Amino acid sequence: MNLTRRDLLKTMGGGFGMAGLAPVAAGAGTHFPAKAKQVIYLFLNGGPSQVDTFDPKPLLTKHHGQKAPSGNLKTERKTGTLLKSPFEFKRFGKSGLEISEIFSHLGAHADDLCVIRSMHTERPNHEPSLTMLNCGHTLVGHPSMGAWLTYGLGTENQNLPGFVVLCPGYPVIGPQLWSAAYLPGRFQGTYVRNTSDDPEELIRDVRNRTLTGDQQKRQVDLLGKLNRMQLAREGADPSLEASIASFEMAYRMQAEALEAFDLRKESEKTRGRYGAGDFARGCLLARRLIERGVRMVQVYYGNDQPWDNHDDITKHAKLAATADQPMGALLQDLKDRDLLRSTVVIIGGEFGRTPAVEVSGLVDVQNGRDHNNHGFSTVVAGGGFKGGMAYGATDDFGFRAVDKPVHPHDLHATILHQMGLDHTKLTYRYSGRDFRLTDVAGRVVSDIVS
Amino acid sequence: MLRADDKLADEMTLLLLAAFALDPSELFEMKVRPVLAGKCYACHSNSRMGGLDLTSREAALKGGNTGPAIVPEKAGESLLVQAVAHTHPKLKMPPTGKLTDDEIGAITAWINAGAVWPAKPLKEPPPPAEYRISAEQRAYWAFQPVRKPAAKGIDELWLRALVAKGLKPNGAADRRTLIRRAYFDLHGLPPSAEAVEKFVADKSPDAWAKLIDELLASPRYGERWGRYWLDVARYSDDQLASQFEIPHPSAFRYRDWVIAALNNDMPYDVFVKAQFAGDQIKGREKELAAGTGFFALSPEQQDDRVDAATRGFLGLTVACAQCHDHKFDPIPTRDYYSLLGVFQSTKKDEFPLAEAEVVKTYKDHRKRIEETRKELTELEHTQSKELAKIFAQDTARYVSAARGGIATGLDPAVVERWKKYLAQPTHEHLFLTKTPEELEETVLATLREKERIDAENQVRLGLNPERRDLSNADLLSLDRDRHYLWRDLIHDKRASVYYFKGGNDLDPYLSAPFLARVKALRARLKHLEETSPERYPFLQTLSDNEKPADIRVQIRGSRDNLGEVAPRRFLQILSKGEAAKFANGSGRLELGEAIASAENPLTPRVIVNRLWQGHFGLGLVATASNFGKLGEAPSNPELLDYLAARLIEEKWSLKALHREMMLSRAYRLSAADNAANSEIDAANRYLWKFNRRRLDIESLRDSMLWATGELDLSVGGQPRRLGEEPNKRRTVYGFVSRRDLDPTLALFDFANPNSTSERRIETSTPLQRLFLLNSSFVERRAEELACSCEGLAGDEARIRAVYRKLFQRTPAKQELKAGLEFLASGGSWREYAQVLLVSNEFVYWN
Repeated sequence: MNLTRRDLLKTMGGGFGMAGLAPVAAGAGTHFPAKAKQVIYLFLNGGPSQVDTFDPKPLLTKHHGQKAPSGNLKTERKTGTLLKSPFEFKRFGKSGLEISEIFSHLGAHADDLCVIRSMHTERPNHEPSLTMLNCGHTLVGHPSMGAWLTYGLGTENQNLPGFVVLCPGYPVIGPQLWSAAYLPGRFQGTYVRNTSDDPEELIRDVRNRTLTGDQQKRQVDLLGKLNRMQLAREGADPSLEASIASFEMAYRMQAEALEAFDLRKESEKTRGRYGAGDFARGCLLARRLIERGVRMVQVYYGNDQPWDNHDDITKHAKLAATADQPMGALLQDLKDRDLLRSTVVIIGGEFGRTPAVEVSGLVDVQNGRDHNNHGFSTVVAGGGFKGGMAYGATDDFGFRAVDKPVHPHDLHATILHQMGLDHTKLTYRYSGRDFRLTDVAGRVVSDIVS
Repeated sequence: MLRADDKLADEMTLLLLAAFALDPSELFEMKVRPVLAGKCYACHSNSRMGGLDLTSREAALKGGNTGPAIVPEKAGESLLVQAVAHTHPKLKMPPTGKLTDDEIGAITAWINAGAVWPAKPLKEPPPPAEYRISAEQRAYWAFQPVRKPAAKGIDELWLRALVAKGLKPNGAADRRTLIRRAYFDLHGLPPSAEAVEKFVADKSPDAWAKLIDELLASPRYGERWGRYWLDVARYSDDQLASQFEIPHPSAFRYRDWVIAALNNDMPYDVFVKAQFAGDQIKGREKELAAGTGFFALSPEQQDDRVDAATRGFLGLTVACAQCHDHKFDPIPTRDYYSLLGVFQSTKKDEFPLAEAEVVKTYKDHRKRIEETRKELTELEHTQSKELAKIFAQDTARYVSAARGGIATGLDPAVVERWKKYLAQPTHEHLFLTKTPEELEETVLATLREKERIDAENQVRLGLNPERRDLSNADLLSLDRDRHYLWRDLIHDKRASVYYFKGGNDLDPYLSAPFLARVKALRARLKHLEETSPERYPFLQTLSDNEKPADIRVQIRGSRDNLGEVAPRRFLQILSKGEAAKFANGSGRLELGEAIASAENPLTPRVIVNRLWQGHFGLGLVATASNFGKLGEAPSNPELLDYLAARLIEEKWSLKALHREMMLSRAYRLSAADNAANSEIDAANRYLWKFNRRRLDIESLRDSMLWATGELDLSVGGQPRRLGEEPNKRRTVYGFVSRRDLDPTLALFDFANPNSTSERRIETSTPLQRLFLLNSSFVERRAEELACSCEGLAGDEARIRAVYRKLFQRTPAKQELKAGLEFLASGGSWREYAQVLLVSNEFVYWN
């Protein structure tokens, strides 16, 4: 504990983060040269259906209304006969990657997209799958990927949080999904409700509402003076020194955060390209934060679980109408700013949906799909992921990942790899055990990255 | 004798082997394995459809429900070949389409060549050998009996270890620092200036001991130290629900019980037992039942209760043995399921805190209300449904009228509803393009179809929809388009064109006798609601299932793979000989007794270590909830054992231990740095100085409210949100949410209430500083503080008064000067007061 203030600043981590008496120093840096520096995770919460979005299944169309020959896999609820997608798939880009018509804006970037069609996870329930995709465990109480990244890498901009989470309200389970859990609290995602263009409505206490800038300057100066007098009296103490530094940073941060979250600074034209709605706002904020060096931004599509279309899969078209355009605009902006090369963009939900129609007594109309953890698609772009490719495959109807299955642990391992981190070495000792984002599993899927 | 097809296959075998110059194992690798992997494994590997696993020769020989898949050298008799060649009367595989002739030929040839399967099959782990705890495991320090070292007290053992490391302890802190330390430590609040002055002036040898006794006797003690236990107990006032808040209505009674237990110095062994089975401790049920809130309020996760029980009370991570025997500690998987069986033999219950008579009156009254409400809604609903059907008969005329046609003889309200509906920009069905007559026909046909489906579904549900798990029911529904038509026009639960929900909308259509009945029911309901007694108070507790039962080990944690039965009993390593099976109900009382036994070496060590951690900032075992091999070894094992032995000697009195720790010289050191010591022990593991700490959020918030004289010290009761103004109660009484933790609590490192927590991590982040600089909570406190000394003449006198209040000292010259300069340069008193409230001297204690 005889760290000097300099040591502390050197080992400082998560942006809003500042080592106090936390037991470890973060920001140890990469294990090997990184291909990517930042991450955007666009989370389509609720479980978007792979066979209606990124995983075309001609046989599903052909056998519509028939029983799946090999029977239905066990999922959360009862399912019946095969249900074809109401949407057309089209070939996009030079690669000819097939994507559903409801994601045509994304399709325009097909040659930058790596569609992993063989994702699978443990349980057909939202909660364990949400925690698996976000935190690498089926139970709550483990740190989120963003927390691990800021713990491992620190942030590029000391005046902004290292890990920002945007959602108009809460997804299912809420803050557990961006928790630092046993990592020091400063690595927790900074949650912002993206419901307004005005930063003061977004970030609590980001600005003093009663004092002018000069008044607050005077106040903070006095505080620094008195704190230093105390320090001189008490003798060197890292916690007191950390506190002084933390106040100084907080003071500086006010201006920077106000600027970063102010969407009124964007042109009409740009706003138009992203379209309307909270998710569009979230995507645009993500771009602004990435431009300013935030390590990871996660944008939830909406509150609760909008993509959970048990009863009528045609609702996916409505959801895509407000998801597709902003995601396309975000990818375009990142490309235009040459940020896509160094930013991993992940698009996906906690699981997929069954190719068979749901017939449980919980739906009024049988035109939707149940949860499906056995096979689903996640899209990754940028950050050294190969574009214009589909990786792995589900069976003929899209039920189960059969070819080159990719578990969320593998996805996490691969993302960490691109960020210059060895997922087996990014550990944190807690209550006597070294914990990892990838638990005791995970392999880097080297075929999809360069 | 060879059958024709066998002969053919034989020829093909030779042909293939020759053509590719393949030996049988190569044939398998090149031609067969890819087919199996690509076409069969989707169903016949892990998921074993039809009982068949095709991932190894052994498995294929064993076959599935219809028999062995392969008969080596006899392709014709092999079900696999019959199925893929479509020669079997029923089995025709794979379902996605017949294999090519080449593929079938390769499989046939391979089987005829002996079905050589070169690679080793995916090894199943050998069946578990009987779990044995090794002598080495038994010898681990934490499982040894507590042995009291021969020593005069804490200081001898502490100093011995310190000196052995070449460290030199700091001198004692000054008296003002000491009394502030004792107050923050035991109460989470600063002392008054008068108390400090009195203590500083009291030169009697027992002044310090008197002070400690006084502080331990105050109810403020339980409020501070109870919260430490609530961290372990993952206490919360609601459930981790996703869609909306589900409160634990009586959780606060557990919280209040914990606080009172500490204030009354309930012996720790009783405190432990009560949390497992307070309701079963004869003669003390009423006093102790609330303790079971530890489990009755637990998160809805399978492993949580075992985890919280073993980490919380024993410092063992038994939940790690859920899928496999513990890798480091002598805890077999079976032990995990033994404990889980105890908890699964219990259910959440309520324990009324009222006379049986009162409970009965309340329940009867609620029942009458429910019955009346049901009768009313059913009556209204039946009428509304019939009415909707009548309107539906006139659909053609209604839709024409809504489009500007003649409305004579039609119900104007329905016409209006139709107009509104047609004005919606989009509709989820396409029937509105039809002619009115066609539309009417579709509506009536849909209605009939819907009634038919509903009747059929009733049958499928066994005429009792509540009896089945609807997620597994196989029901019928209208097709998508008709469903939306029905939903929009006739739906009888949500807004639709023809359905008039009960109440003012429906009343005009009711005939006189129905209307009279509806009105009578409404009046009766109103009367019942108004005269309903208040809900009686109750505890959220556990009770045992009628049929407590052992459960089976889930191999690798999988519910689909059950192993041996795990009898309900205590952990093997902590039992003498074979652990005895629990015989009393679920066994939770026996479990509590085993944990709270003085023979159990872990329980006393774990709790004295928690006390030490609270007082000194770091436990003798730094991993307070993990005393296993992966935990930290104790920095001073003799001292730990001394304290554990003392706890037993003191009949499990926690206050006696607090007192002994605080009276030690070790506790009274100054927090000053010492370069030579830092060189050896920078982390202060051996306590050569006192650790300076940031106030935790409870102490910080409470101290600010205390400093302004606003703190409301009323005790216990329903939680209130901290953000709710003006909530000026102690923070421990604030609403703690699993779903949506108060942002200020979260900001200042509050324990995550979703799992048991051994220690708070102390951080110092800029976001916390933004709260201190800009939040309305701090601004208001500053305002109050500034006002509280307004009557004094002159800034200097006011500054002195504020220093006395906040820091119980006079300001140094330069501090005074800085304050006066700030005020003279235009800074307001509120701004000045805020600076002091958020200064390091206020926020940190030592």
